[in-house]
Amino acid sequence: MKKRLGPVWVMAEQRGCEVETVSLQLLGKARRLADELGVACESVILGHNLGEAARRLIAGGADRVFVGDAPHLALYQSLPYRDILCALVEEHKPEILLLGSTFLGRELAPLAAARLKTGLAAHCTGLRHDKDGNLEQQIPAYGGLMSIVCPNRRPQMATVAKGVFKAAEPDENRKGEIVPVRVPGETELGVRTLEIVQEAPPEIELEEADVVVCGGAGAGSAEGWEIVRELAVALGAALGCTRPVVDEGWAPLDAMIGQSGKMVSPRVYIGVGLSGEQQHMVGVVGAQFMAAVNQDPKSAIFQQVDLGVVEDCRKFLPVLIEKIKAFRKERTFCRPPSVS
Amino acid sequence: MKIVVCVKAVPDPKEICRIRIDPVSKTLTRCEVPLVVNLLDKHALEAALAIKESSGAFVTVLSMGPPPADRIVKECMSLGADRGILLSDRAFAGADAFATAHTLARGIEKAGPFDVIFCGMASSDGATEWVGPQIAAFLDLPVVTMVRKFESRQGDRWLVLADWQNGYRRVEVRLPALFTVTRELNRPRALSFSGILKARSKTIEHWDLSSLGVSADSVGAQGSPTLVTEISPVENRRDAEMLRGTLEEKADQFVSRLAELGIV
Amino acid sequence: MIDFTFTEEQDMFRKAAREFAETRVAPFVPEMEKTGKVPPDLVKALGEAEMMAITIPEQYGGLGLGFVARMIALEEISRISVATGMMLQVLALGIDPIVRFGNEAQKKKYLPGLARGERLATVAVTEPTGGSDPTGGRTVYSKDGTDYVITGRKCFITNSHIADVVTLLAKDENDPKAFSAFIVEKGTPGFKATHEEHKVGMKGCNTGELSLEKCRVPAENLVGREGKGLRVTMSAIGDVGRGGMVGCALGLHTACLEASLKFAKDRILYGKPISVLQTIQNKLAEMKIDLEAGRLLAYRAAAMQDRGEPSSNEFAVAKYFTTETAQKAAKMAVDIHGGYGCMEEYAVSRYLRDAFVLGPSAGTSDIMKVIIARWVLA
Repeated sequence: MKKRLGPVWVMAEQRGCEVETVSLQLLGKARRLADELGVACESVILGHNLGEAARRLIAGGADRVFVGDAPHLALYQSLPYRDILCALVEEHKPEILLLGSTFLGRELAPLAAARLKTGLAAHCTGLRHDKDGNLEQQIPAYGGLMSIVCPNRRPQMATVAKGVFKAAEPDENRKGEIVPVRVPGETELGVRTLEIVQEAPPEIELEEADVVVCGGAGAGSAEGWEIVRELAVALGAALGCTRPVVDEGWAPLDAMIGQSGKMVSPRVYIGVGLSGEQQHMVGVVGAQFMAAVNQDPKSAIFQQVDLGVVEDCRKFLPVLIEKIKAFRKERTFCRPPSVS
Repeated sequence: MKIVVCVKAVPDPKEICRIRIDPVSKTLTRCEVPLVVNLLDKHALEAALAIKESSGAFVTVLSMGPPPADRIVKECMSLGADRGILLSDRAFAGADAFATAHTLARGIEKAGPFDVIFCGMASSDGATEWVGPQIAAFLDLPVVTMVRKFESRQGDRWLVLADWQNGYRRVEVRLPALFTVTRELNRPRALSFSGILKARSKTIEHWDLSSLGVSADSVGAQGSPTLVTEISPVENRRDAEMLRGTLEEKADQFVSRLAELGIV
Repeated sequence: MIDFTFTEEQDMFRKAAREFAETRVAPFVPEMEKTGKVPPDLVKALGEAEMMAITIPEQYGGLGLGFVARMIALEEISRISVATGMMLQVLALGIDPIVRFGNEAQKKKYLPGLARGERLATVAVTEPTGGSDPTGGRTVYSKDGTDYVITGRKCFITNSHIADVVTLLAKDENDPKAFSAFIVEKGTPGFKATHEEHKVGMKGCNTGELSLEKCRVPAENLVGREGKGLRVTMSAIGDVGRGGMVGCALGLHTACLEASLKFAKDRILYGKPISVLQTIQNKLAEMKIDLEAGRLLAYRAAAMQDRGEPSSNEFAVAKYFTTETAQKAAKMAVDIHGGYGCMEEYAVSRYLRDAFVLGPSAGTSDIMKVIIARWVLA
């Protein structure tokens, strides 16, 4: 007789009154995985003032949301978050538990996995079920993909970065259950987050950048290069280049990405005015999303990216930059609840 | 103060691009890449040595690895560590982060009492970032990951700043505790000739499975909940979605896609 | 019988030296190329990294390591900057007469400061009339009471303008066959560093002239015995100077090979990297063969020196071989780079310029052959 499978869970995160984008994206994927297994898709969220967040999670695909709401949980606290999450896991025995590869997730996931004595795969770029019904977790490595499974322990845990999966279209009419979770009272903790401080974004190193904008000869001139730089700044991205740019003197050698330059593994790569030569492209490893702007529709770059725009980057970029700035202005910010 | 620093011997990141996946056999190409101290672990060691210099400490370096990792531990002694321990046994091979953390945790317990443990936040060749927190979990210690600054240290109460999204968090910790550190924390000291000479007389302790006193099924591949089932090369080809419309329209669509990715 | 492997400790010295060269020497190279001047911060960095202390005995504040360790350090530093390697090797050359022939008072006075890199040293032998043949020199000394008074001119002296402690060779005014070695300190009245050379290679390494005009030095500055100075300076140059050139040549040779490999793998012609072409492989193989052979000659001689055995002949062989093949390697490296090899931003053009300054330093190749012939015929 087939063993009854547990649900697929997402440990969701909140920021201010909003559910983190990555949590909604994971929920979208979790929904699909749950449907494949014929089980429920559920979510756990901890923090304070979570009413709206819980509803968003249901609209995003959760059948049930476990809510641990208490003032002393408003900021992430590793010990109570771990204790509550693990207690819930032990009670409900999910098949799969996904967390965002966020600062919170990268600390909480291993703590939970160790307590639950289960396996965990980090920064996955793909999740699918293999023929044995195990979750195959895919991770970029050595220029290729590594598949990891956790065959004997449950839940199968994985962390996934923002942008790997797509969130489902929110369905405000979806019905789901909100289950309040008993939160133990505040105790003296061995480790306590006192506050979270926002800073101005720092200088981004190419090899550590989440987003890389890379320019090539198509920038046209030193002035044209400045526009490429503006795009990088507008996106909070690191700026890289190809060899012709270095030869022209628009950028230094240490900005060069390629076989004889830097190897980068950003989540997102945007190549503008470059031809996609192997010497350069081999320096971009495992990017989840790649886009390019080039005026030549037959350019080799378009065989290697997910999104292409055939335009002269000297004309396209200024318009793009303006639209990015305008988009930012329109976004409303939600103030985080003050912690007293 | 007694400090333990966990270090890992990793293939030199400057040469690691030579290791590739063979498209036919689907295994890693064999390559002689020299082992070096994982860079972030150097920052962890520096944190310990800085405390040793300013207020006194006994620094133990612990590593789990194959016999050649011995040199890495010796290098740490040459930098100033007082004691070096290498956990090495065939049985430890094939360990995932869980089994690695378990083995290291048992090694730390055997090494004796400690006040604080420093680990690099990630290794350059595995980069799960899990080992540090899981060691803390197995030793039932409070942990803070991605520490970028020690703001204050009063006895056993420390205040630290740790990386967080677009900023940092301020965390209060009571020792004993484990910290994983970032590159921002400090500047690791350079290996010096006189340091190498001073370490001449120091020996490295080698502990195998039996001297560690753990069961074979709790370490190595046997003790790993996860396993790698396949590695496959990835071709660079992607199916590009070509945007259509006027320049303005394409720019709008581009921005939408960027928004979906969470970049704007 | 023969063990050609380095010890674990020697490997660690190499690692430390390489890290030092890559992080603390490399940033100075562009400035040195541009100005031709020795950056004071570079000298400071060398001092902090204990590079001047390598061959100074421990009881005088040094590391008490031998010439194999010194060779390793020079190799690694020269791989990044031959100019720096050259400066460092001559600093050790300047220290050697004091270590080997100095009396206790001289060692106590000079070595600790030299070990810390607070004071710098050199040896001054060469003159316009006495290069390959130092006995042709015209710098003379006379005795005045217990002092010596020296007049003359030295040229092509490395570290001429930065050295604080100069071991200098001069001829007895009254006996052209008697030479003595003296320590002359910077600032001594009548002693001046005058003309600075602008070398085409090893830029940033200071080479220049020293002038002595009735320069008075006290008796305690005599190194070794009066009249026996030739031995003092020539054994320093023969062992330490020659050995230093070998280290510089090996480092440069390694750099040439590495740069050639990188370029050959990157440069695509007809759809493939040029490293697949036989003409390129031929050059790479030659460079490799010469480097392997050079390293064996180098470390054999240095190991003999560390055991206290006479080694100047073996160093002559190594000096000839490594400096000649380094020049060949630099030319091959430039050839492999094609047109790029002539461009300043590509390091290989610098390697070529640095390479041929290796030749005449510490004895020309022709003189090396004279020495080796003498050895063979003896």
